[in-house]
Amino acid sequence: MEFTALFLAITITMLVAWRGPRPLALSLFAVVLIACVATFMHHATDTLKLSF
Amino acid sequence: MTSDRAITLNVLALYALAAVLATAFGAQFILGELPCPLCLLQRIMFALLAIGPILNIRYGPRPSHYALSLLAAIVGAVVSTRQVLLHIMPGDAGYGSTLFGYHFYTLALLAFIAAIALIALVLLFDWQFVTPPASAKAGAFATIAVGLIITLTAGNFASALLECGFKACADDPIAYELMKR
Repeated sequence: MEFTALFLAITITMLVAWRGPRPLALSLFAVVLIACVATFMHHATDTLKLSF
Repeated sequence: MTSDRAITLNVLALYALAAVLATAFGAQFILGELPCPLCLLQRIMFALLAIGPILNIRYGPRPSHYALSLLAAIVGAVVSTRQVLLHIMPGDAGYGSTLFGYHFYTLALLAFIAAIALIALVLLFDWQFVTPPASAKAGAFATIAVGLIITLTAGNFASALLECGFKACADDPIAYELMKR
């Protein structure tokens, strides 16, 4: 679900970057990037079975 | 390097990113491999990487636009490194099929590192930020590139919705959630 929302948010950000105001595009980018990092941190809780 | 040359490079970068997303779609639909959550996040970072070039094409090259792409590429490299490490154990067959002998997440890591290096190289040319673009309007070549990347990202939205439905995506997806009977 969160990935679907992120793809939608990036599509909207792209459209704003191409046709909308620049400050809004930059703000949307910042929000999406933070959401991406938060999603990664949420999914990065599995144990890493390293070989060294 | 003039502003126009830099814009041409940004357009080519968009085509390269479109090729990456199209290849991922190819593996998904031709080989029938559904992307895992980390795979989806890597696609998301490739799409986010395209915002900088789109802004560069529309407003002319600016260091801040390249900074956006650098941030996206760094996060993308972290995500793909995580997936490489998950499958680093000897004997681990890895996730999904391979292309040129490498798994897609390994290729993604190489692509993100290449993007970081290329953006740093392009940033060396200060003249692009001084000279104004010859035309304020984007040409057909650039417009098609932007349209292509937006269409592929919207396609990924539809694909992720089909795959995950309205709940959390499966760790090892084998079927489209919204197509289950």
